[in-house]
Amino acid sequence: MKAFYRNMTAATMIAFVLLPFLVLIMWSFSTRWFYPQLYPAQWGLRAWQYVFGIAGSQIISGLIQSMLVALVTAMISVLIGVPAGRALGLYNFKGKDTISIILTLPVIVPPLCVAMGLHLWFLKLGLTETFGGVVLVHLTFCLPYSVFVMWGVFSNYNPDYEDQARSLGATSWKLITRVMLPLTLPGIMVAGLFSFLLSWSQYLSTLIIGGGRVTTLPILLFALMGSGDRPVAAAVSIVFVAPAFLALLFSAGYLGGRSITGVR
Amino acid sequence: MGELLMKNLTIRYGGAEVVSEFDLAVHDAEIVSLLGPSGAGKTTVLKAVAGLIRPQKGEIIIDGQSVQHLPPEKRNAVMVFQKSLLFPFMNVAQNIGFGLRMQGRHGREIRRQIDRILELTELTGLGQRKVHELSGGQQQRVSLARALVLKPAILLLDEPLSNLDANLRQQMRELIQDIQVETRITTLFVTHDQVEALMISHRVGLLLDGRLRQVGEPRELFYRPVDPDVARFFGGCNFIQGHVKNGMFRSEYGNAPAPAINGNGHLLTATIRPEDILITPESKYDLQGQVQKTNFEGSATRIWVQCKDTRFVILTSETGIFPGQKVGLHLPPDKIRIFPGGPESGEMI
Repeated sequence: MKAFYRNMTAATMIAFVLLPFLVLIMWSFSTRWFYPQLYPAQWGLRAWQYVFGIAGSQIISGLIQSMLVALVTAMISVLIGVPAGRALGLYNFKGKDTISIILTLPVIVPPLCVAMGLHLWFLKLGLTETFGGVVLVHLTFCLPYSVFVMWGVFSNYNPDYEDQARSLGATSWKLITRVMLPLTLPGIMVAGLFSFLLSWSQYLSTLIIGGGRVTTLPILLFALMGSGDRPVAAAVSIVFVAPAFLALLFSAGYLGGRSITGVR
Repeated sequence: MGELLMKNLTIRYGGAEVVSEFDLAVHDAEIVSLLGPSGAGKTTVLKAVAGLIRPQKGEIIIDGQSVQHLPPEKRNAVMVFQKSLLFPFMNVAQNIGFGLRMQGRHGREIRRQIDRILELTELTGLGQRKVHELSGGQQQRVSLARALVLKPAILLLDEPLSNLDANLRQQMRELIQDIQVETRITTLFVTHDQVEALMISHRVGLLLDGRLRQVGEPRELFYRPVDPDVARFFGGCNFIQGHVKNGMFRSEYGNAPAPAINGNGHLLTATIRPEDILITPESKYDLQGQVQKTNFEGSATRIWVQCKDTRFVILTSETGIFPGQKVGLHLPPDKIRIFPGGPESGEMI
């Protein structure tokens, strides 16, 4: 029975994750591929030559832009998520339910509405078409996740560890760096990764707030797709997915139930 | 050197008074147990000494210095919790070295101290183990070692043995005793287990409902409780009433000399321990009763005997006694303990 489930998992993985990738890779290496054919009629490196040649500098700057936005967003998201999650997970106070509803709002309300609404405000505040504005709008989508993850981590967190550490001579600062952070590190990694990936894949909000000036990779990707050149779009898609995929592999050890429940 | 003085401590938790007017001194190299049922406020006192809770009133003095305005890390009093609370991201040696590193010490110096403490707590060779690879008893010993390595003036132990099984607990008690004798560390030990408290400590303080009811050597609390509550906590369950006349306590169950009590004519309560009552199936004694129930408990049998208006509980090694039987009872005068205060109404067992 166990083997059956394992095979099921493997089959699902292949069908829904690897197969689309396979098609993408095939597209990127094809030069001629028309409808009824199962394989490309002609293979070639044209798309990749384009990506690394003519469009190379554009794509690299998009990659850097995306990376910067996603890293800064993830960092701020964690910096706010950890104390917020700690407050929500460890202490009881008035308005806790209200906060959880407000936190879920950006997730429930369609992103388009959120981005459009914020656009008006950002216009007034002069935040449109700026790096900071894009980071801020990404944060509205990332923060709920990181706060909820850290909330979960801290509801399973035993504050006695901190009392013990204080009694053993730890000062407040060392309490945070030597006890709290290591104990919640798996959760922090998950919160950071969530935020990074969410920010990395934002298109609509970047387009609306960034106004085409903050050209992250998805913005470039959509522009290239619009031109109708499928092999090039496929190649750019792979370039787009690769860093996120690497980030996922890198933090694979931290994922899973252990990280959400925290270390006991 | 370690002297701990707690003066008139009052601690409230969300409006409720958990500890009231608590006075206790722990002398240098002494091990004092704070004994009491769960919820009596024992841990609260310990946390107040450690600096994790701020008392509303009173003073805590360690080695002549008032410490209630000092943060925990400056108090020279280290607490060991009920759960071992070992940091899971560190190995055994790193856990033990935590406090030393917090003091900013590093390298070979602390490694030597860790090795020495590993030996003292019988953990030699386990320094590189991961925490989750240890048994419960080993974890608790690491937790103890982590505190001992700091050589604090006061060691505060909060029921460190209560999560262990009976055999292991006995071993650990002996280990703590041995370590205490060797290091002469002043220790305040909190427990709800009377056997543990009586066995391990030089003196015992009994805490009931946030108030310290009696402090003294183990034998003193056990044999000379100051009031029925204390007696009851130590398993006393036979209470009789009588009058004192001319230095003699007289009741319908037995008499006892009471030279120190001068409440002439007043109704007083006295107690006798279940194992002190003599019981015999023959009609040897004046006091007669009928056995209601017997419970075999191994080395002793617990017998409930109805005698006049009182039901006595007797612990005896006698085995030939069965329910329904008529027995003779004798309450040896020297074993009857008379409470100096007034009688306790309505609480006769």
